[in-house]
Amino acid sequence: MTYANITIEDLASDQADKMVKIVKISGQLDESNVDEQSKTIYQLIEANPKNLYLIFDFSELEYLNSKAIGYLTDWYGKISAESGQIAISMAQENIVDILQVVGLTQLITCHVTLDEAKTAMLAS
Amino acid sequence: MDQTPTITTPTAAPQAEIPNTPPSGDETVQISITLPTNAYFLSGIRDFTLTMTKNMTGFSDQWAFRFQSVVDELCNNAIEHGSALGQEIVITFIGHPQESLEIIVDDSGTGPNKYTAAEMQGIFKEQVQKVQTQFLGLRGRGLAKIVAEWTDEIKFEDSDKGGLRVRVKKYIKNP
Repeated sequence: MTYANITIEDLASDQADKMVKIVKISGQLDESNVDEQSKTIYQLIEANPKNLYLIFDFSELEYLNSKAIGYLTDWYGKISAESGQIAISMAQENIVDILQVVGLTQLITCHVTLDEAKTAMLAS
Repeated sequence: MDQTPTITTPTAAPQAEIPNTPPSGDETVQISITLPTNAYFLSGIRDFTLTMTKNMTGFSDQWAFRFQSVVDELCNNAIEHGSALGQEIVITFIGHPQESLEIIVDDSGTGPNKYTAAEMQGIFKEQVQKVQTQFLGLRGRGLAKIVAEWTDEIKFEDSDKGGLRVRVKKYIKNP
């Protein structure tokens, strides 16, 4: 199985009902691991059904396939339907390129730095 | 008795010289790789695609990453839809340096979704229209979006072995 790892970190927010988390995905998301890895995010959404704000830190993500993009789209739909938001930060050029070609950058903002993403998420 | 191993140099037949240099600038390079129908091997073929494109085709690094995705999506389709477990798929790269890169993926025709080339052409056309007009769910972006956007030609053929062959080509002059 291709290597991939997900770590989740809480980010303190002024608003008590707002749950902000940084989800760092490292490695490569492909057919061999994406179904298994995606369970972590679905569990996170299930545990925090409302006002969930996720910042995906893609600084160490080297590859993602079309199915991983499908999952990202699904998480976007589920989270934004319940007053939450998704943002991406520090994605490498090849990752931004593939997100652009499938049109996902029109739905999800890609921030250049993690600080920029944090500021945007905490302020929204 | 002296038990020190001795090393002798064979002198019988002259060794054939194996080239160890990149092909010359205008030489067409064709490489075929056979993979078992197992997603485990996809990361290896992606690594190969990246290195080969960077070193032997004249395409930019950005295109090397794009071909990585094209190959990954084509191979995954061949494994998931066109070939049963325990079978093989064949990936062929034909590089015309400074001109084009052609990628051909053959499935074994033993998978759960066996389509003829004509049927696949129809499905592809339908999918391409769908991605332009509808919000897609989990699936459907691989061939119709990633492969279609990042290649200039895509052809489906029925192979002699009873499987489906997908042939894509990208011209370097057409970024």
